[in-house]
Amino acid sequence: MRQSSELETTFFVTAVAVSARLGHVLKEAKNISLEAMNAKALVARAGENVRTFKPITDYMVELANDTIRLVADIDQEALRISKASLIALRGNEAVNHFNTAKVKAQKALYRDSFEPALQDAEKDLHLFQQNLLRNIRRLNELLEEIENRMLAANVVTSTSRLEAATVSPLYRANFEAIVEKFENAAKTIRAIVRECRKVLNVR
Amino acid sequence: MQTIKLFEGPFHEWIVFGRDSEKIDKIVDTNQYLVKTNREAILLDPGGIELFSSMLAAVVHFLPVEQITHLFASHQDPDIISSLGLWDKTLPTATLHAPWIWEGFLRHYGCNNITYNPIADEGGTLKVDGIELEFIPAHYMHASGNFGVYDPQAKILFSGDVGGGLNSHEDPMFVQDFDQHIKQIKTFHQRWMPSEKAKEAWIKRVRKLDIDLMCPQHGAIYKGKDIDRFLDWLEDLEVGTALRSS
Ligand SMILES: [Fe+2]
Ligand SMILES: [Fe+2]
Repeated sequence: MRQSSELETTFFVTAVAVSARLGHVLKEAKNISLEAMNAKALVARAGENVRTFKPITDYMVELANDTIRLVADIDQEALRISKASLIALRGNEAVNHFNTAKVKAQKALYRDSFEPALQDAEKDLHLFQQNLLRNIRRLNELLEEIENRMLAANVVTSTSRLEAATVSPLYRANFEAIVEKFENAAKTIRAIVRECRKVLNVR
Repeated sequence: MQTIKLFEGPFHEWIVFGRDSEKIDKIVDTNQYLVKTNREAILLDPGGIELFSSMLAAVVHFLPVEQITHLFASHQDPDIISSLGLWDKTLPTATLHAPWIWEGFLRHYGCNNITYNPIADEGGTLKVDGIELEFIPAHYMHASGNFGVYDPQAKILFSGDVGGGLNSHEDPMFVQDFDQHIKQIKTFHQRWMPSEKAKEAWIKRVRKLDIDLMCPQHGAIYKGKDIDRFLDWLEDLEVGTALRSS
């Protein structure tokens, strides 16, 4: 029982920790969005000789928006985990109280009369723990989704670099700077998300 | 947990639970009371969450737990009723009688199943399997919404925090030497009881009742003459003393 209560405490803390880290992910996602806007403006100005850059900037915007949406979903899920782990923790405490009473009531004539309450508390606890595990699985999936998006971002940066090398020298430096910022933001997000997943899986 | 039968009538009994030797040192010792008939029972001030397992284990010596159909909380303090969330799981069909002003507060302890019966400021009566109990207003003694319980048949007044003191779990269950006893309860009444007006109103009300036993939620139980001695002593005592120094 003790072990299980530690588990719930850990998840409660973990959810808070994940939530706290998401602030940075959001900031980076907004950076990507900003860079994509810059790139779009540049593409518009540079005209025909950088048209291959257009789908790349569209993709960057999409990526940023997806990430922002995923962060919001994760935030919700983390909140749910906090709540679910507290409920499970309380359920666990209730079971402990009933079990202690059971030991203390060994000689009592009607000691069996609270057995149904103990069983209900155990059933509740099982349900709470299952809900908690489901929430954690979902959180893991959402984090994985962001990570996959960032892997895709890697491909985009490689392509963008090649494209940047081909555009007119007038715009080249600008495009290269945009690509680099995009790459850095994606890297940072990946690092944070990895860390979150690590925190979540070390229990 | 010590248990003493205080009254045994033709249809009902009073039992006190207290002086739990297993309780943590830093929490105050409390008395819990069970009024039971053959079919039903009410638990008065069921106690804090830390006490729950001891209380549950103690009551099942006397009855199957589902026979407890009513709970009563004199006020909202944690030593009175922080166990509510667990009783709520144990007795989902029971009714909790408590001051109306505390409903939104007490529900913080968890009250998903139990029915909350808000007691109006004027008090009221409750029939438990034919036994009539009276909720006696004791507002501001010390809590701003507060009741005692009077049983006219048993001539017992459950007085909540009034008459109580911060005793140790080794102290006797009944007042033995009144003069010695008041030393233990003086500070509690001076500091915890806030209002002279409330004190006077409570004394006036209680003097009208025919009481053999006055049972506080902490400390020792008063018998016969000690009840009058206590009322006289309280009448002369200055309360709300923290205001003196501020
Ligand atoms: Fe109190
Ligand atoms: Fe108290």
